[in-house]
Amino acid sequence: MARGGRAAMSTPAPASVYRSGEGLGLWEHRGKVAAVGIGHSPTARRWDGKPANSVGGISLAALRGAIEDSGVDPADVDGLVMDPTTTTGAFWPQGKPLPWDAINAYERTDDPLDGITRLSAEWMLKNMPELTGVQFTRYGMGCMSSAICVAAQAVGDGRTHTCLVLKSWHNLEGRYYQGGANAGNAIPGSSAIRSLWGTPACFGTAVQFAEYCRKYGKSHDMMAPFIENSRNNGLKFPEGYWAQHRPEEITPEDYKAARWIAKPANLFDNDMPIMVSAAYLFTTAERARQLKQKPVYILNHASSRTRPRSLTPTLDEVEEDTARTARKIYEGAGITAADLSFENMYDGFALFHQFHIEGLGYRGIKFGEALDFYQTDISIGGPNPVSPSGGNIGCGRSRFWMHTDCIQQIQRRASSRQVTGVKPEVAVSGGPMPLGGNFTVWSSTPG
Amino acid sequence: MILVSFDIDGTLEEGDPPGILTMDFVRQVKGEGLLVGSCSDRPISAQRALWARHGIDVDFAVSKHMLGEVKASFDAEVYYHIGDREDLDKRPAEQAGFRFLWPHEAVAMPWTKTGSVRP
Repeated sequence: MARGGRAAMSTPAPASVYRSGEGLGLWEHRGKVAAVGIGHSPTARRWDGKPANSVGGISLAALRGAIEDSGVDPADVDGLVMDPTTTTGAFWPQGKPLPWDAINAYERTDDPLDGITRLSAEWMLKNMPELTGVQFTRYGMGCMSSAICVAAQAVGDGRTHTCLVLKSWHNLEGRYYQGGANAGNAIPGSSAIRSLWGTPACFGTAVQFAEYCRKYGKSHDMMAPFIENSRNNGLKFPEGYWAQHRPEEITPEDYKAARWIAKPANLFDNDMPIMVSAAYLFTTAERARQLKQKPVYILNHASSRTRPRSLTPTLDEVEEDTARTARKIYEGAGITAADLSFENMYDGFALFHQFHIEGLGYRGIKFGEALDFYQTDISIGGPNPVSPSGGNIGCGRSRFWMHTDCIQQIQRRASSRQVTGVKPEVAVSGGPMPLGGNFTVWSSTPG
Repeated sequence: MILVSFDIDGTLEEGDPPGILTMDFVRQVKGEGLLVGSCSDRPISAQRALWARHGIDVDFAVSKHMLGEVKASFDAEVYYHIGDREDLDKRPAEQAGFRFLWPHEAVAMPWTKTGSVRP
Protein backbone atom coordinates (compact mmCIF):
# COMPACT_ATOMS: atom_id res chain seq x y z
CA MET A 1 0.00 0.00 0.00
CA ALA A 2 1.38 3.40 -0.92
CA ARG A 3 0.89 4.91 2.48
CA GLY A 4 2.71 8.14 1.77
CA GLY A 5 1.25 8.56 -1.68
CA ARG A 6 -2.29 8.07 -0.51
CA ALA A 7 -1.86 10.40 2.45
CA ALA A 8 -0.34 13.06 0.21
CA MET A 9 -3.79 13.40 -1.32
CA SER A 10 -5.21 14.52 2.02
CA THR A 11 -7.44 17.51 1.72
CA PRO A 12 -9.52 19.56 4.10
CA ALA A 13 -12.96 18.14 4.72
CA PRO A 14 -15.61 19.81 2.58
CA ALA A 15 -18.04 22.22 4.21
CA SER A 16 -20.82 19.69 3.75
CA VAL A 17 -19.28 17.45 6.40
CA TYR A 18 -20.04 19.96 9.13
CA ARG A 19 -23.55 20.20 10.52
CA SER A 20 -23.79 23.96 10.43
CA GLY A 21 -27.41 24.45 9.45
CA GLU A 22 -30.49 24.59 11.62
CA GLY A 23 -33.37 22.17 11.29
CA LEU A 24 -31.26 19.16 10.32
CA GLY A 25 -33.03 16.92 12.80
CA LEU A 26 -31.37 14.13 14.70
CA TRP A 27 -27.86 13.33 13.54
CA GLU A 28 -28.19 10.26 11.36
CA HIS A 29 -25.29 8.57 13.18
CA ARG A 30 -26.39 9.50 16.69
CA GLY A 31 -24.88 7.01 19.14
CA LYS A 32 -23.26 4.96 16.37
CA VAL A 33 -19.77 6.45 16.75
CA ALA A 34 -17.69 6.24 19.92
CA ALA A 35 -14.44 7.51 21.35
CA VAL A 36 -12.48 4.82 23.11
CA GLY A 37 -8.80 5.75 23.35
CA ILE A 38 -6.87 8.82 24.40
CA GLY A 39 -3.19 9.63 23.94
CA HIS A 40 -1.41 12.75 25.12
CA SER A 41 2.18 13.83 24.67
CA PRO A 42 4.06 15.53 27.47
CA THR A 43 3.85 19.32 27.37
CA ALA A 44 6.61 21.91 27.10
CA ARG A 45 6.64 25.66 26.96
CA ARG A 46 8.73 25.69 23.78
CA TRP A 47 10.49 23.24 21.51
CA ASP A 48 13.95 22.41 22.84
CA GLY A 49 15.33 21.37 19.45
CA LYS A 50 15.37 17.65 20.20
CA PRO A 51 13.79 15.47 17.49
CA ALA A 52 11.63 13.49 19.92
CA ASN A 53 10.16 16.74 21.24
CA SER A 54 9.40 18.24 17.84
CA VAL A 55 5.77 18.57 16.92
CA GLY A 56 6.16 15.49 14.76
CA GLY A 57 7.79 13.56 17.57
CA ILE A 58 5.16 14.41 20.14
CA SER A 59 2.41 13.62 17.65
CA LEU A 60 3.79 10.14 17.18
CA ALA A 61 3.74 9.71 20.95
CA ALA A 62 0.13 10.89 21.18
CA LEU A 63 -1.09 8.65 18.38
CA ARG A 64 0.67 5.60 19.75
CA GLY A 65 -0.74 6.44 23.16
CA ALA A 66 -4.28 6.50 21.82
CA ILE A 67 -3.80 3.19 20.04
CA GLU A 68 -2.42 1.54 23.15
CA ASP A 69 -5.06 3.07 25.37
CA SER A 70 -7.86 1.77 23.22
CA GLY A 71 -6.33 -1.68 22.84
CA VAL A 72 -6.65 -1.87 19.07
CA ASP A 73 -4.10 -3.50 16.83
CA PRO A 74 -2.36 -0.70 14.88
CA ALA A 75 -2.99 -2.66 11.73
CA ASP A 76 -6.73 -2.30 12.33
CA VAL A 77 -6.55 1.49 12.14
CA ASP A 78 -7.91 2.53 8.77
CA GLY A 79 -8.42 6.29 9.17
CA LEU A 80 -6.55 9.39 10.23
CA VAL A 81 -8.16 12.80 10.67
CA MET A 82 -5.99 15.67 11.79
CA ASP A 83 -5.28 19.37 11.56
CA PRO A 84 -2.14 20.08 9.54
CA THR A 85 -1.61 23.49 11.15
CA THR A 86 0.23 23.42 14.45
CA THR A 87 0.33 27.07 15.45
CA THR A 88 -1.51 30.32 15.23
CA GLY A 89 1.51 32.49 15.91
CA ALA A 90 4.88 30.70 16.09
CA PHE A 91 6.42 30.57 12.64
CA TRP A 92 9.92 29.53 11.61
CA PRO A 93 11.82 32.81 11.25
CA GLN A 94 12.85 33.71 7.73
CA GLY A 95 16.57 33.19 7.27
CA LYS A 96 17.00 31.05 10.36
CA PRO A 97 18.88 27.83 9.52
CA LEU A 98 16.61 24.83 9.33
CA PRO A 99 16.92 22.25 12.13
CA TRP A 100 18.30 19.50 9.93
CA ASP A 101 19.15 17.17 12.80
CA ALA A 102 15.51 17.02 13.77
CA ILE A 103 14.26 17.02 10.19
CA ASN A 104 16.49 14.10 9.23
CA ALA A 105 15.67 12.14 12.35
CA TYR A 106 12.38 11.16 10.68
CA GLU A 107 11.11 10.13 7.29
CA ARG A 108 10.64 13.40 5.42
CA THR A 109 8.17 14.79 2.98
CA ASP A 110 8.97 17.39 0.34
CA ASP A 111 8.51 20.14 2.93
CA PRO A 112 11.46 20.19 5.36
CA LEU A 113 9.40 21.92 8.05
CA ASP A 114 6.78 19.18 7.93
CA GLY A 115 6.98 17.72 11.43
CA ILE A 116 8.60 20.87 12.77
CA THR A 117 6.16 23.75 12.26
CA ARG A 118 3.36 21.91 10.48
CA LEU A 119 2.20 18.38 10.09
CA SER A 120 0.86 16.44 7.14
CA ALA A 121 -0.92 13.12 7.15
CA GLU A 122 1.79 11.97 4.78
CA TRP A 123 4.48 12.74 7.37
CA MET A 124 2.56 10.95 10.09
CA LEU A 125 2.06 7.80 8.05
CA LYS A 126 5.63 7.74 6.78
CA ASN A 127 6.74 7.68 10.40
CA MET A 128 4.22 5.16 11.67
CA PRO A 129 4.98 2.03 9.66
CA GLU A 130 2.77 0.04 11.99
CA LEU A 131 -0.28 1.77 10.46
CA THR A 132 -0.51 -0.55 7.49
CA GLY A 133 -4.22 -0.26 6.94
CA VAL A 134 -4.94 3.46 6.69
CA GLN A 135 -7.03 4.12 3.60
CA PHE A 136 -8.81 7.31 4.67
CA THR A 137 -7.14 10.57 5.63
CA ARG A 138 -8.76 13.96 5.94
CA TYR A 139 -7.97 17.34 7.44
CA GLY A 140 -10.22 18.98 9.98
CA MET A 141 -8.87 22.48 9.82
CA GLY A 142 -8.32 24.75 12.76
CA CYS A 143 -8.42 22.67 15.87
CA MET A 144 -9.39 19.38 17.47
CA SER A 145 -13.02 20.53 17.63
CA SER A 146 -13.08 20.53 13.85
CA ALA A 147 -11.18 17.26 13.46
CA ILE A 148 -13.61 15.53 15.81
CA CYS A 149 -16.57 16.51 13.66
CA VAL A 150 -14.83 15.26 10.53
CA ALA A 151 -13.82 11.98 12.13
CA ALA A 152 -17.22 11.36 13.71
CA GLN A 153 -18.95 11.93 10.39
CA ALA A 154 -16.44 9.74 8.54
CA VAL A 155 -16.91 6.83 10.94
CA GLY A 156 -20.67 7.27 10.82
CA ASP A 157 -20.63 7.35 7.02
CA GLY A 158 -18.59 4.15 6.94
CA ARG A 159 -15.53 5.73 5.33
CA THR A 160 -13.37 4.47 8.20
CA HIS A 161 -14.18 2.13 11.05
CA THR A 162 -11.16 2.73 13.30
CA CYS A 163 -10.02 6.31 13.04
CA LEU A 164 -7.28 8.24 14.78
CA VAL A 165 -7.97 11.92 15.44
CA LEU A 166 -4.97 14.14 16.01
CA LYS A 167 -4.25 17.73 16.95
CA SER A 168 -0.80 19.06 17.79
CA TRP A 169 0.70 22.39 18.71
CA HIS A 170 4.25 23.64 18.51
CA ASN A 171 5.80 26.69 20.09
CA LEU A 172 9.18 28.18 19.35
CA GLU A 173 11.44 30.56 21.20
CA GLY A 174 10.64 34.22 20.72
CA ARG A 175 7.41 36.12 20.75
CA TYR A 176 4.12 34.72 19.54
CA TYR A 177 2.29 36.46 16.68
CA GLN A 178 5.43 38.42 15.71
CA GLY A 179 6.50 36.20 12.81
CA GLY A 180 4.94 34.77 9.69
CA ALA A 181 2.69 37.11 7.78
CA ASN A 182 2.78 39.57 10.65
CA ALA A 183 6.48 40.17 10.01
CA GLY A 184 5.85 41.16 6.40
CA ASN A 185 5.21 44.56 4.88
CA ALA A 186 1.78 43.68 3.53
CA ILE A 187 -1.05 41.35 4.42
CA PRO A 188 -3.96 40.62 2.11
CA GLY A 189 -7.59 41.07 3.04
CA SER A 190 -9.10 42.13 6.32
CA SER A 191 -6.17 40.59 8.19
CA ALA A 192 -4.32 43.79 7.37
CA ILE A 193 -6.60 45.67 9.71
CA ARG A 194 -6.41 43.03 12.42
CA SER A 195 -2.74 42.15 12.20
CA LEU A 196 -0.63 44.70 10.38
CA TRP A 197 -1.87 47.62 12.47
CA GLY A 198 -2.98 45.13 14.97
CA THR A 199 -4.41 44.96 18.39
CA PRO A 200 -3.71 42.05 20.75
CA ALA A 201 -5.47 38.85 19.75
CA CYS A 202 -7.91 39.16 22.65
CA PHE A 203 -9.04 42.64 21.64
CA GLY A 204 -12.24 41.57 19.91
CA THR A 205 -13.31 39.47 22.87
CA ALA A 206 -12.40 42.31 25.21
CA VAL A 207 -14.68 44.66 23.28
CA GLN A 208 -17.53 42.16 23.48
CA PHE A 209 -16.94 41.64 27.18
CA ALA A 210 -16.89 45.38 27.85
CA GLU A 211 -20.25 45.70 26.14
CA TYR A 212 -21.51 42.68 28.09
CA CYS A 213 -20.55 44.31 31.39
CA ARG A 214 -22.18 47.59 30.36
CA LYS A 215 -25.37 45.91 29.17
CA TYR A 216 -25.84 43.67 32.18
CA GLY A 217 -24.19 45.73 34.91
CA LYS A 218 -21.38 43.24 35.55
CA SER A 219 -17.69 43.69 36.24
CA HIS A 220 -14.42 42.07 35.25
CA ASP A 221 -13.75 41.15 38.89
CA MET A 222 -16.73 38.79 38.68
CA MET A 223 -14.63 36.55 36.42
CA ALA A 224 -12.26 35.74 39.27
CA PRO A 225 -14.08 32.60 40.51
CA PHE A 226 -14.13 31.20 36.98
CA ILE A 227 -10.40 31.74 36.56
CA GLU A 228 -9.63 30.30 39.98
CA ASN A 229 -11.83 27.27 39.28
CA SER A 230 -10.29 26.72 35.86
CA ARG A 231 -6.74 26.75 37.16
CA ASN A 232 -7.69 24.51 40.08
CA ASN A 233 -9.21 22.01 37.67
CA GLY A 234 -6.19 22.30 35.38
CA LEU A 235 -3.85 21.51 38.22
CA LYS A 236 -5.76 18.24 38.57
CA PHE A 237 -5.18 17.44 34.89
CA PRO A 238 -1.91 15.47 34.85
CA GLU A 239 -1.63 15.88 31.08
CA GLY A 240 -1.68 19.67 31.32
CA TYR A 241 1.16 22.17 31.20
CA TRP A 242 0.54 23.89 34.52
CA ALA A 243 0.16 20.59 36.38
CA GLN A 244 3.37 19.27 34.82
CA HIS A 245 5.61 22.31 35.04
CA ARG A 246 4.31 25.14 37.16
CA PRO A 247 1.67 24.13 39.68
CA GLU A 248 0.55 27.68 40.32
CA GLU A 249 -2.92 28.66 41.43
CA ILE A 250 -4.53 31.89 40.31
CA THR A 251 -6.25 33.37 43.33
CA PRO A 252 -8.81 36.17 43.01
CA GLU A 253 -6.10 38.51 44.32
CA ASP A 254 -3.70 37.34 41.60
CA TYR A 255 -6.34 37.77 38.94
CA LYS A 256 -7.40 41.23 39.95
CA ALA A 257 -3.77 42.37 40.17
CA ALA A 258 -2.79 41.18 36.69
CA ARG A 259 -1.90 43.72 34.04
CA TRP A 260 -4.25 44.53 31.22
CA ILE A 261 -3.56 43.14 27.78
CA ALA A 262 -6.56 44.81 26.14
CA LYS A 263 -8.68 46.24 28.93
CA PRO A 264 -10.92 44.65 30.18
CA ALA A 265 -8.96 41.52 29.21
CA ASN A 266 -6.01 40.93 31.49
CA LEU A 267 -3.05 38.59 31.37
CA PHE A 268 -4.88 35.66 32.97
CA ASP A 269 -7.82 35.95 30.61
CA ASN A 270 -5.35 34.85 27.95
CA ASP A 271 -3.90 31.38 27.55
CA MET A 272 -0.25 30.46 27.10
CA PRO A 273 1.13 28.80 23.94
CA ILE A 274 2.79 25.44 24.56
CA MET A 275 4.01 22.30 22.82
CA VAL A 276 1.46 19.52 23.11
CA SER A 277 -0.30 16.84 21.11
CA ALA A 278 -3.43 14.80 21.72
CA ALA A 279 -5.01 11.94 19.86
CA TYR A 280 -8.24 10.03 20.17
CA LEU A 281 -9.37 6.77 18.68
CA PHE A 282 -12.89 6.74 17.25
CA THR A 283 -14.68 3.65 16.09
CA THR A 284 -18.13 2.30 15.50
CA ALA A 285 -20.34 1.63 18.48
CA GLU A 286 -20.26 -2.09 17.70
CA ARG A 287 -16.47 -2.30 17.61
CA ALA A 288 -16.13 -0.03 20.62
CA ARG A 289 -17.89 -2.51 22.86
CA GLN A 290 -15.10 -5.04 22.23
CA LEU A 291 -12.29 -2.67 23.18
CA LYS A 292 -10.41 -1.95 26.37
CA GLN A 293 -12.03 1.31 27.45
CA LYS A 294 -15.64 2.20 28.09
CA PRO A 295 -17.10 3.66 24.89
CA VAL A 296 -18.10 7.31 24.95
CA TYR A 297 -20.80 7.73 22.34
CA ILE A 298 -21.14 10.77 20.14
CA LEU A 299 -24.72 11.96 19.99
CA ASN A 300 -24.11 14.86 17.63
CA HIS A 301 -21.67 17.29 16.15
CA ALA A 302 -22.67 20.80 15.19
CA SER A 303 -20.90 23.82 13.80
CA SER A 304 -21.21 27.58 13.61
CA ARG A 305 -20.19 29.22 10.36
CA THR A 306 -21.86 32.57 10.97
CA ARG A 307 -19.99 35.53 9.56
CA PRO A 308 -20.22 38.79 11.46
CA ARG A 309 -21.19 41.95 9.66
CA SER A 310 -17.85 43.54 10.45
CA LEU A 311 -14.39 42.58 11.68
CA THR A 312 -15.42 42.01 15.28
CA PRO A 313 -18.77 40.43 16.08
CA THR A 314 -21.02 42.57 18.20
CA LEU A 315 -22.44 41.29 21.46
CA ASP A 316 -25.84 41.00 19.79
CA GLU A 317 -24.35 38.84 17.05
CA VAL A 318 -22.55 36.70 19.62
CA GLU A 319 -25.68 36.08 21.64
CA GLU A 320 -27.78 35.38 18.59
CA ASP A 321 -25.27 32.85 17.30
CA THR A 322 -24.53 31.02 20.55
CA ALA A 323 -28.26 30.51 20.95
CA ARG A 324 -28.47 29.24 17.38
CA THR A 325 -25.52 26.89 17.99
CA ALA A 326 -27.22 25.51 21.09
CA ARG A 327 -30.38 24.77 19.12
CA LYS A 328 -28.28 22.85 16.57
CA ILE A 329 -26.41 20.97 19.29
CA TYR A 330 -29.57 19.91 21.11
CA GLU A 331 -31.63 19.12 18.04
CA GLY A 332 -29.05 16.80 16.49
CA ALA A 333 -28.37 15.05 19.79
CA GLY A 334 -32.02 14.77 20.76
CA ILE A 335 -31.38 16.32 24.15
CA THR A 336 -32.13 19.51 26.04
CA ALA A 337 -30.00 21.67 28.30
CA ALA A 338 -31.39 19.75 31.26
CA ASP A 339 -29.64 16.61 30.04
CA LEU A 340 -26.14 18.08 30.39
CA SER A 341 -24.20 16.63 33.30
CA PHE A 342 -21.55 19.31 32.84
CA GLU A 343 -20.20 21.63 30.18
CA ASN A 344 -16.75 21.95 28.66
CA MET A 345 -17.03 24.82 26.23
CA TYR A 346 -13.89 26.59 25.11
CA ASP A 347 -12.17 29.26 27.16
CA GLY A 348 -9.20 30.63 25.36
CA PHE A 349 -10.04 33.58 25.86
CA ALA A 350 -11.66 33.24 29.24
CA LEU A 351 -13.89 36.22 28.58
CA PHE A 352 -16.01 34.40 26.02
CA HIS A 353 -16.72 31.27 28.01
CA GLN A 354 -19.86 32.88 29.41
CA PHE A 355 -21.13 33.54 25.88
CA HIS A 356 -20.93 29.84 25.12
CA ILE A 357 -22.69 28.65 28.27
CA GLU A 358 -25.37 31.34 28.19
CA GLY A 359 -26.15 30.30 24.63
CA LEU A 360 -26.42 26.72 25.84
CA GLY A 361 -28.69 27.76 28.68
CA TYR A 362 -26.55 25.60 30.92
CA ARG A 363 -28.40 25.06 34.21
CA GLY A 364 -31.06 27.42 32.98
CA ILE A 365 -28.89 30.53 32.90
CA LYS A 366 -29.91 33.26 30.52
CA PHE A 367 -27.92 35.95 28.76
CA GLY A 368 -26.28 38.21 31.29
CA GLU A 369 -26.43 35.67 34.13
CA ALA A 370 -23.22 33.66 33.78
CA LEU A 371 -21.06 35.92 35.91
CA ASP A 372 -23.57 35.68 38.75
CA PHE A 373 -23.53 31.91 38.19
CA TYR A 374 -19.75 31.98 38.60
CA GLN A 375 -20.23 33.30 42.13
CA THR A 376 -21.96 30.03 43.08
CA ASP A 377 -20.40 26.55 43.41
CA ILE A 378 -19.08 25.76 39.94
CA SER A 379 -16.48 23.25 41.15
CA ILE A 380 -16.15 19.62 40.13
CA GLY A 381 -17.59 18.67 43.51
CA GLY A 382 -20.76 20.70 43.13
CA PRO A 383 -23.99 20.24 41.22
CA ASN A 384 -23.07 22.67 38.44
CA PRO A 385 -19.54 21.96 37.19
CA VAL A 386 -18.16 24.62 34.88
CA SER A 387 -15.21 23.72 32.65
CA PRO A 388 -14.08 20.71 34.67
CA SER A 389 -11.17 20.30 32.27
CA GLY A 390 -9.77 23.65 33.35
CA GLY A 391 -9.52 24.43 29.66
CA ASN A 392 -6.71 26.47 28.19
CA ILE A 393 -6.63 28.65 31.30
CA GLY A 394 -5.98 25.62 33.46
CA CYS A 395 -3.78 23.57 31.15
CA GLY A 396 -2.21 25.72 28.40
CA ARG A 397 -3.18 26.47 24.82
CA SER A 398 -4.39 23.39 23.01
CA ARG A 399 -8.09 23.82 22.36
CA PHE A 400 -8.57 20.14 23.24
CA TRP A 401 -8.53 19.75 27.01
CA MET A 402 -12.32 20.02 27.05
CA HIS A 403 -12.69 17.07 24.70
CA THR A 404 -10.26 14.85 26.57
CA ASP A 405 -12.02 15.77 29.78
CA CYS A 406 -15.48 14.88 28.47
CA ILE A 407 -14.23 11.46 27.40
CA GLN A 408 -12.34 10.84 30.63
CA GLN A 409 -15.20 12.06 32.84
CA ILE A 410 -17.72 9.82 31.14
CA GLN A 411 -15.28 6.91 31.27
CA ARG A 412 -14.84 7.77 34.95
CA ARG A 413 -11.09 8.00 34.70
CA ALA A 414 -10.58 11.72 35.23
CA SER A 415 -8.56 10.97 38.38
CA SER A 416 -8.76 13.73 40.99
CA ARG A 417 -10.63 15.87 38.48
CA GLN A 418 -13.57 13.48 38.33
CA VAL A 419 -16.85 15.27 38.86
CA THR A 420 -18.52 14.10 42.04
CA GLY A 421 -21.55 16.35 42.35
CA VAL A 422 -23.20 14.98 39.21
CA LYS A 423 -23.30 11.67 37.36
CA PRO A 424 -21.17 12.07 34.23
CA GLU A 425 -23.56 10.95 31.53
CA VAL A 426 -23.97 13.65 28.87
CA ALA A 427 -21.60 16.50 28.16
CA VAL A 428 -20.86 19.07 25.50
CA SER A 429 -17.53 20.46 24.41
CA GLY A 430 -16.30 22.63 21.60
CA GLY A 431 -15.10 25.90 20.27
CA PRO A 432 -13.16 27.91 19.59
CA MET A 433 -15.07 31.10 18.94
CA PRO A 434 -18.68 31.91 19.75
CA LEU A 435 -19.02 32.72 16.05
CA GLY A 436 -17.12 30.04 14.20
CA GLY A 437 -16.76 26.81 16.12
CA ASN A 438 -17.41 23.11 16.18
CA PHE A 439 -19.13 21.27 18.98
CA THR A 440 -19.66 17.68 20.10
CA VAL A 441 -22.14 15.99 22.41
CA TRP A 442 -20.74 13.01 24.33
CA SER A 443 -22.74 10.36 26.15
CA SER A 444 -22.27 7.32 28.35
CA THR A 445 -24.98 5.54 26.37
CA PRO A 446 -25.85 5.46 22.66
CA GLY A 447 -28.97 7.44 23.43
CA MET B 1 19.18 52.45 50.58
CA ILE B 2 19.01 50.62 47.26
CA LEU B 3 15.94 48.73 46.06
CA VAL B 4 16.29 45.91 43.54
CA SER B 5 13.33 44.41 41.70
CA PHE B 6 13.76 41.09 39.91
CA ASP B 7 11.81 39.84 36.95
CA ILE B 8 11.55 36.02 37.12
CA ASP B 9 11.03 34.36 33.73
CA GLY B 10 14.12 34.71 31.58
CA THR B 11 15.95 36.45 34.41
CA LEU B 12 16.25 34.09 37.38
CA GLU B 13 17.43 30.50 37.20
CA GLU B 14 13.98 29.47 38.43
CA GLY B 15 12.37 31.25 35.50
CA ASP B 16 10.63 29.77 32.49
CA PRO B 17 12.88 30.00 30.51
CA PRO B 18 15.68 29.97 33.08
CA GLY B 19 17.76 33.12 33.32
CA ILE B 20 21.37 33.53 34.40
CA LEU B 21 20.79 34.91 37.90
CA THR B 22 20.87 32.33 40.65
CA MET B 23 18.79 32.34 43.76
CA ASP B 24 22.07 32.59 45.63
CA PHE B 25 22.67 35.84 43.80
CA VAL B 26 19.35 37.19 45.08
CA ARG B 27 20.14 35.91 48.55
CA GLN B 28 23.48 37.66 48.45
CA VAL B 29 21.94 40.95 47.32
CA LYS B 30 19.42 40.68 50.11
CA GLY B 31 22.27 39.94 52.49
CA GLU B 32 23.90 43.19 51.52
CA GLY B 33 20.99 44.92 53.18
CA LEU B 34 19.22 46.02 50.01
CA LEU B 35 15.47 46.06 49.59
CA VAL B 36 14.70 43.11 47.32
CA GLY B 37 11.59 41.73 45.63
CA SER B 38 10.03 40.52 42.42
CA CYS B 39 8.00 42.18 39.76
CA SER B 40 6.77 39.52 37.36
CA ASP B 41 3.88 38.35 35.26
CA ARG B 42 3.60 35.28 37.46
CA PRO B 43 0.67 35.29 39.87
CA ILE B 44 1.58 37.15 43.02
CA SER B 45 0.82 34.07 45.10
CA ALA B 46 3.21 32.05 42.92
CA GLN B 47 5.93 34.66 43.35
CA ARG B 48 5.54 34.50 47.12
CA ALA B 49 5.60 30.71 46.99
CA LEU B 50 8.78 30.79 44.93
CA TRP B 51 10.57 33.02 47.43
CA ALA B 52 9.30 31.00 50.37
CA ARG B 53 10.52 27.80 48.73
CA HIS B 54 14.01 29.27 48.60
CA GLY B 55 13.86 30.79 52.05
CA ILE B 56 14.28 34.33 50.82
CA ASP B 57 12.30 36.90 52.75
CA VAL B 58 11.55 39.48 50.08
CA ASP B 59 10.23 42.96 50.69
CA PHE B 60 7.69 42.89 47.88
CA ALA B 61 6.20 40.63 45.21
CA VAL B 62 3.98 42.35 42.68
CA SER B 63 2.65 42.16 39.16
CA LYS B 64 4.67 43.49 36.28
CA HIS B 65 2.88 46.78 35.92
CA MET B 66 3.15 47.70 39.61
CA LEU B 67 6.70 49.06 39.73
CA GLY B 68 5.32 52.54 40.32
CA GLU B 69 3.51 51.31 43.41
CA VAL B 70 6.71 49.71 44.66
CA LYS B 71 8.54 53.00 44.25
CA ALA B 72 5.82 54.80 46.12
CA SER B 73 5.88 52.26 48.94
CA PHE B 74 9.61 52.17 49.65
CA ASP B 75 11.96 55.04 50.38
CA ALA B 76 15.22 54.37 48.58
CA GLU B 77 17.95 56.40 46.97
CA VAL B 78 18.12 54.25 43.86
CA TYR B 79 15.60 51.84 42.36
CA TYR B 80 16.70 49.07 40.01
CA HIS B 81 14.66 46.61 37.98
CA ILE B 82 16.45 43.63 36.45
CA GLY B 83 14.73 41.92 33.52
CA ASP B 84 15.12 40.34 30.12
CA ARG B 85 12.55 42.13 27.97
CA GLU B 86 12.74 45.50 26.27
CA ASP B 87 8.97 45.93 26.16
CA LEU B 88 7.93 44.29 29.40
CA ASP B 89 10.86 45.17 31.66
CA LYS B 90 13.07 48.01 30.41
CA ARG B 91 10.40 50.37 29.16
CA PRO B 92 7.99 50.11 32.11
CA ALA B 93 10.88 50.22 34.57
CA GLU B 94 12.18 53.44 33.14
CA GLN B 95 8.67 54.87 32.97
CA ALA B 96 8.27 54.11 36.68
CA GLY B 97 11.51 55.89 37.52
CA PHE B 98 13.64 52.78 37.93
CA ARG B 99 17.08 52.23 36.51
CA PHE B 100 17.01 49.17 34.30
CA LEU B 101 19.61 46.40 34.23
CA TRP B 102 19.88 43.39 31.98
CA PRO B 103 20.81 40.27 34.00
CA HIS B 104 24.40 40.32 32.76
CA GLU B 105 24.70 43.94 33.81
CA ALA B 106 23.33 43.21 37.26
CA VAL B 107 26.13 40.83 38.15
CA ALA B 108 28.66 43.59 37.53
CA MET B 109 27.08 46.06 39.93
CA PRO B 110 29.15 47.08 42.94
CA TRP B 111 26.50 45.76 45.32
CA THR B 112 26.97 42.21 44.04
CA LYS B 113 29.72 39.68 44.40
CA THR B 114 30.98 37.74 41.46
CA GLY B 115 30.62 33.99 41.31
CA SER B 116 26.91 33.75 41.85
CA VAL B 117 26.02 33.66 38.21
CA ARG B 118 24.68 30.50 36.68
CA PRO B 119 27.19 29.15 34.11
